[in-house]
Amino acid sequence: MALKVGYNFTLFYLNKYFLTLVFVANKHLCLVFGKAVHALSRIGDEIWLDPLEKGLAVRTVNSSQSAYACFCFTPLFFQQYIPDPDIRKDCEAVKCKLNMKCVLPLFRCASWRERSVDKCEISINIPNSRVIFQFHCRHGITKTYNLGYQECEALQAVFPAHLCPNVLMAQSKLLGDIVVHFPVSQEEVTLSISSFKVTLKTFCEEENNCIKGMNTELMLHPDEFDYFQVGEDSAVTFCLKELRGLLSFAESYGLPVSSQFGVAGQPISFTVKDMTLEAHVVLSTLTDPNHESPSQPAPGDDCPVNILKTSTAEVSTCEGPMETEVCIADGEQVASSQGSDVFNPTPHMRKMIQLQTPGEMLPRLRLAPESALTTPVTPATFKVRSLLFGAVYTNGMDSKTVDLPSLACASDTEED
Amino acid sequence: MPLSTQSQADADQYILIASLDNARNLSNILKAISLRDHAIFNATQNGLKVTVEDSKCLQANAFIQAEIFQEYIIKEDAVGFQVNLTVLLDCLTIFGGSTVPGVCTALRMCYNGYGYPLTLFLEEGGVVTVCKINTQEPEEPIDFDFCSTNVTNKVILQSESLKEAFSELDMTSEVLQITMSPSHPYFRLSTFGNSGNAHYDYPKDSDMMELFHCTSEASTCKYKMSLLKPSTKALALSCKVSVRTDSRGFLSLQYLVRNDDGQICFVEYYCCPDEEVEEE
Repeated sequence: MALKVGYNFTLFYLNKYFLTLVFVANKHLCLVFGKAVHALSRIGDEIWLDPLEKGLAVRTVNSSQSAYACFCFTPLFFQQYIPDPDIRKDCEAVKCKLNMKCVLPLFRCASWRERSVDKCEISINIPNSRVIFQFHCRHGITKTYNLGYQECEALQAVFPAHLCPNVLMAQSKLLGDIVVHFPVSQEEVTLSISSFKVTLKTFCEEENNCIKGMNTELMLHPDEFDYFQVGEDSAVTFCLKELRGLLSFAESYGLPVSSQFGVAGQPISFTVKDMTLEAHVVLSTLTDPNHESPSQPAPGDDCPVNILKTSTAEVSTCEGPMETEVCIADGEQVASSQGSDVFNPTPHMRKMIQLQTPGEMLPRLRLAPESALTTPVTPATFKVRSLLFGAVYTNGMDSKTVDLPSLACASDTEED
Repeated sequence: MPLSTQSQADADQYILIASLDNARNLSNILKAISLRDHAIFNATQNGLKVTVEDSKCLQANAFIQAEIFQEYIIKEDAVGFQVNLTVLLDCLTIFGGSTVPGVCTALRMCYNGYGYPLTLFLEEGGVVTVCKINTQEPEEPIDFDFCSTNVTNKVILQSESLKEAFSELDMTSEVLQITMSPSHPYFRLSTFGNSGNAHYDYPKDSDMMELFHCTSEASTCKYKMSLLKPSTKALALSCKVSVRTDSRGFLSLQYLVRNDDGQICFVEYYCCPDEEVEEE
């Protein structure tokens, strides 16, 4: 396998009590990382860094939890791997949450970085709760940024893409050409699919409103797509603004974008993949007003972000000042992150985006090339998050322990 | 080219006459020190020195040598006055920022002496404007007593490398810390903002580093960010900058500026250290 990008991932172990993870990236990855941060900044105000065994996952979610994005940078090879299983477990237990406003300026001027930056090192200093971005620039100049992070639970969305009836894949250029026709202020669009065409159009809440302003509708023939699979005719409405970041990322690198979705109300996922990274954006879609009720969650299920967990609910929350303030009452029309007042992030979406404690048996993100975010299916760790069945909480979570249980990962997940 | 509206008789009463074919050669430099409204002018045989001070902690000086002017006549040993710098800059740029090559504003600056306004004759494309700006009694600029003998550390850098750092400085940090050391990190700018710390390190063997002279001790001093941030304007104009600290922790920044005609002028900033810090 030819190395498309020459960069190294190094998991570096200094000593047992002062653990620093180091990811070293050359100029190219630094640019890619910067573009990923830009794309993520279009969605959320916070950025989660999750050093997994197989790479660095950088994630965000928007304040209303209706959009989730994850960029996972896979190492092509390890220079050094942590031999001691205890330390490795500590490594993998680190979840950092940073304020997007702190990270974005570091990667702001792409063209300057391209010229000046030779190398970028990202380290996580656990004892001091710092993420360190160090840029080695031209002329020997070094820029070091020590950013304080919040320890938090992992942010992870579980999206069984293989269960989606509809799959589309297109070149990013095509998608870019499509979305350029929609004004930047346009928030929601409706994507309709049938066997003989795909339509993307401005979403109008009521028929009357369609008269005001400009409405755009584009129709595409299945042949325009690199891959076209329609399992179920549907029309899904989602927020286009939150997708633009991923699309421009894909366009910068000429990567195709694939999309998996089902019927209205089920989240839609967009994926960009190549040998070195995998990026996903999952957006909630409007439920079809004609088929409302079964998906309404129980009344006690308010504020999934802030509220902490009961033994059955999936965990959410991060303690501390960085906690999001949004409290979503179900059934209510809530503002999407861009202030649109019609969007109702569906309960499906919220259930999908869960913040898990480290002690749980996390289904590891498998970065198999063919699938998007699929969970590894093992008897002990399988959590059913089937979108087709709506909200399902696994009861296996009642005996949640916070300390690292010995029955975690090692025996149950498919470690190499 | 002398302005034809000027009669010989008028010229006799002025104690200072300074003319420039291109007023930008003066206005650009003055913008680099425009921290505050008032500027103290001190003209001598050598040229013009303009001083602006801020809260008794920061002083910015611009030096425009007599040779820069197409005409420079001074009838006394020293001529001093104070004017509103903002008004002066507005007058110097009264014809707008014309970027048409070859077209520039000509300036003749005249001063009768104590109690008289500063008179500016500006001409562009045949149009003449006369501005008279009230002057005040010049204040005595603070003497920071920064002499070479007390200098402990000195570096000279090419401005290009510092420009990026200064434009990116974390403004949520109250202070800018400057560290100069004979060993790593050699020359470091640090900020301590809401999100965390940032450090910009310039090694002594960097090709941006023209001179690195550091005594055996490292020095670390903090300066109020609000005082130093305006120096970015001077940095932007300059091609080289020298950074010196003395035994008291006072900072001297000297900028070498080339004007439109390639002539050299100097701008310097003096800054007191932020009081909490002990100078090592």
